[in-house]
Amino acid sequence: MKDSKIKRELIKSFKKHRLENISIKLNEKIVFLEGTIDSYEKYIIAGHLAGRNSIIRGVVNNISYPEKKKTQKKKGKDEFIGSADVVIVGGGITGCSIARELSKYKLKIVIIEKDEDVSCGATKANNAMVHSGIGEEPGTLKQKLCVQGHFLFEKLSKQLSVPYRQCGMLIVITKDSLEDLKLPSFLSNFLAKYVIPYIILRRGKKIKVPLEKISRMKILEIEPQLTDRTILGISSPTYGVTSPYEFCIALAENAVENGVDIRLNTEVVGIELEENRIRNVITTEGKIRTGWVINAAGVNADEIAEVAKDRFYTIHPRKGSTLLFDKSNAGYISHNLSFFQFPMKEHTKGGGAMVTTHGNIQWGPTAIEIPDKDDLSVSKDEIYDIFEKYSRLLPNFSKKSIIAYFAGIRSATFTEDFIIEASKKIKGLIHVAGIQSPGIAASPAIAMMVADILKNEGLTLTDNPKFEPLRKNHLIIRELDFEKRKKIIEKNPLYGRIVCRCEEVTEGEIVDAIHSNIPAKSLDAIKRRTRAGMGRCQAGFCLPRVAKILSRETGKPIEKIMKNSKESQLFIGKSKCLLEETDGD
Amino acid sequence: METDVVVIGGGPAGLAAAAIASQQQVDVTIFERARELGGILPQCIHNGFGNFIFNKMLTGPEYAQHYIDLVKKLKIHIKTDTTVLKITKDKQIIATNSKDGLFKIKTKSIILAMGCRERTRSQILLPGSRPAGIYTAGTTQRLINVDGIMLGSKIVILGSGDVGLIMARRFILEGAEVKGVFEILPHPGGLTRNIVQCLEDFDIPLNLCHTITEIHGKKRVTGVTVAEIDRSTFNPKKGTEFFIPCDTLVIAVGLIPENELSKQVNISMGPNTGGPVVDNNMQTSEAGVFACGNVVHVHDLVDDVTISSELAGKAAAEYVKNQIKEGALKSIHPGKNVFYVVPQHIRCDLKSSVTLYFRVKNIMKNAEIKLTEKNYIVAQKKERIVKPPEIVKIDILPEEANKIKQSVEVSVEGELF
Repeated sequence: MKDSKIKRELIKSFKKHRLENISIKLNEKIVFLEGTIDSYEKYIIAGHLAGRNSIIRGVVNNISYPEKKKTQKKKGKDEFIGSADVVIVGGGITGCSIARELSKYKLKIVIIEKDEDVSCGATKANNAMVHSGIGEEPGTLKQKLCVQGHFLFEKLSKQLSVPYRQCGMLIVITKDSLEDLKLPSFLSNFLAKYVIPYIILRRGKKIKVPLEKISRMKILEIEPQLTDRTILGISSPTYGVTSPYEFCIALAENAVENGVDIRLNTEVVGIELEENRIRNVITTEGKIRTGWVINAAGVNADEIAEVAKDRFYTIHPRKGSTLLFDKSNAGYISHNLSFFQFPMKEHTKGGGAMVTTHGNIQWGPTAIEIPDKDDLSVSKDEIYDIFEKYSRLLPNFSKKSIIAYFAGIRSATFTEDFIIEASKKIKGLIHVAGIQSPGIAASPAIAMMVADILKNEGLTLTDNPKFEPLRKNHLIIRELDFEKRKKIIEKNPLYGRIVCRCEEVTEGEIVDAIHSNIPAKSLDAIKRRTRAGMGRCQAGFCLPRVAKILSRETGKPIEKIMKNSKESQLFIGKSKCLLEETDGD
Repeated sequence: METDVVVIGGGPAGLAAAAIASQQQVDVTIFERARELGGILPQCIHNGFGNFIFNKMLTGPEYAQHYIDLVKKLKIHIKTDTTVLKITKDKQIIATNSKDGLFKIKTKSIILAMGCRERTRSQILLPGSRPAGIYTAGTTQRLINVDGIMLGSKIVILGSGDVGLIMARRFILEGAEVKGVFEILPHPGGLTRNIVQCLEDFDIPLNLCHTITEIHGKKRVTGVTVAEIDRSTFNPKKGTEFFIPCDTLVIAVGLIPENELSKQVNISMGPNTGGPVVDNNMQTSEAGVFACGNVVHVHDLVDDVTISSELAGKAAAEYVKNQIKEGALKSIHPGKNVFYVVPQHIRCDLKSSVTLYFRVKNIMKNAEIKLTEKNYIVAQKKERIVKPPEIVKIDILPEEANKIKQSVEVSVEGELF
């Protein structure tokens, strides 16, 4: 199809949706939208209309809307701080997977991460599912990589000593699944019993993912807490659940063990080109000389593409909020449960009620388009929507056992598929953008695909003979048996002192995290590595203790201890410090 | 290792129970996870403790010190900085610390005295972001009073429980600005004396029927949105929202008995107390396992904790010596306008009177409290006023208790306030 024809069709559909005064330009299957619109909702509709045709490579949505904020650009530093064969922008699961994969070759690799730790974006705040690919749009890149990636998870988790549970997923069809269609009951019953299972099973066959139809009787036997309105289920046994931040940290630590360099608190602000080739990456800390840049910047991938002068997509943040319930519910369900609903909400598989690798249960996530890339707030409506939705699956579950809720931002593009390709304009630039769900499951396959792209683009990949796939052992004291635990405490008494009582985390483990090869420098970084503060009291008990250990081990005064990023100061100083101030007036 | 009585928790409940048990010539071991004894008391530097037991107004540390001194004088094994990890069904305890490492200890009797923990912002489904600067009231109290760390300068307090009220005053004395205390209910959650001494005396506004509808701030709290509550639906009233800039949000929305260890021994839990079901000896449904203090239900006054814990300590020692009387078990149920009552059982024949502690559901004037079995009144009492935040007591004499056939109900009638 020619650009001009696509454009004509787009103009028509924009008119139909009453999206006026918007200029549509097309260039090599990339849509550029300009103009002004009166709401963010319409901005999203316009972008999705432009990206709907699967022939479109990307949508750059520059339409302005009332609440649009101008981002302030940070300044870079001019002096050189190093050089690398490959610079990876972004230390999320995508960037860290790529770094670890590339560390199998003799390359000098640097990860640049703007936050104080790896795994700080969507990686730390999703529902931890390792999808099988059955929920993805057939024929998409994300489906292909998801199917490939999820089969690799078990082995990879073992190598990295990260918990992984191949719990399987049950897609549950209930009497409420088709209610929005408002059909006569015999018809909706027929659809639910025969047509829908047939369609899902056929989809599974196509992508070679095992699926099985489960009768009402059997599904209620394996998940007795499921609603009595259950009609039947489809089991996807290769579904799993990981601990995404632990997985990401483990990838990063193993990458560092294999020679990768990580620069935290460093933001990429520019890219210098030389005859349309990558030359230098400019960061807030200085310049890095390199020939290859991998843009794995998550929600900010479009901004990185912009500074590399090859922006052909816009990221529109889509927030997902998840509710976390206490471990006392461990065993309440044994599979991930997803509530089948038709028609499906656009651009989400709809989440589920999930087990976790640590015994908690999670419900969610939601899917809400928001203009702000770092708005991690959870609204009351979201909480109640999740309660309502999954109470339909698990009507007797105690919602009172909620211990936390959190939000993550999906980095969605308007074409709603992964964009993983070498730049057609800038030599040395690789886009790894639009990595939303199932980005966790796909991450091992994404990393392999990126290595292939680099090879095809002319980067020489020589095997690194020193590559060690196993992450150095890290101790989890509560998991040791009595004798081993006793012995290890004899060697280091700090493993005997419990600091976080809800999750049984010892002082020794906290000290280990602070001095690990990617040192935990904030309370949240310690939490992600050790689980201190993740339990039912949500750090009420251990917060002062962990903060003091961090202060002691790093030599920083207590008021310099952060919850996470810079400016997330926990304390203002010693008690009476405010009175001293007024005395001086 | 072996002992007669293991006391889990070295707060006011554990200390009182341990002292009494030890005085009955049994071998007692206390496990306390903090480095110091006293539980929550060392951080409660305000006064108002000990009015009933000592007839004076002591501070928390003073009250605690009395029992710490007592316990140290007795031949009690004290293991501080020690966390109990597991209790097995055959009364074996696994604990860990940095001095002895991981160890097991076999005991004849266990006293559960782990206290309680605070409810968090998640448990009340408080919407918004998750920045630094959100603390529970007890955590702020520990940070300021024990650790000497100041948390913020512009404070909003959600909930009018006692710790929240006391911390409001503390923040003022520390030079911070307290923007107000917000309470969702039409009546305050804390004791009247704390409303007067901590808020009114310091001109801190108390906003009843208000709640926080959103927390703002990405890195550190920048403010909260507050709204008035519709009294019938408990939902925020549209159009009443207003923004309060602040850097710290203190959550004082109640306490939860900490019973994760209790659940390992499979004892029955009370429906509204959050703690184990106990009899007049503070014995749980498991023989030889006793519970006392805030593990059983959340107390208003430490004096009551001490009194009931002494019962537990005495009974645990008697259990070890096989002296405990196994009378018929009679149950006590909450009736009209009563949220819960403790103990839930009494064993007859009693030699001394039993105090029943109960919490009412609503504020009532000229309240008539009755203990009835069907139409028969076992005991009764009048109170000028009863309120949900203030525990009500009624004593049953042995001769009254012995008349109970199977079960009695505690009910309250009066004028709704």
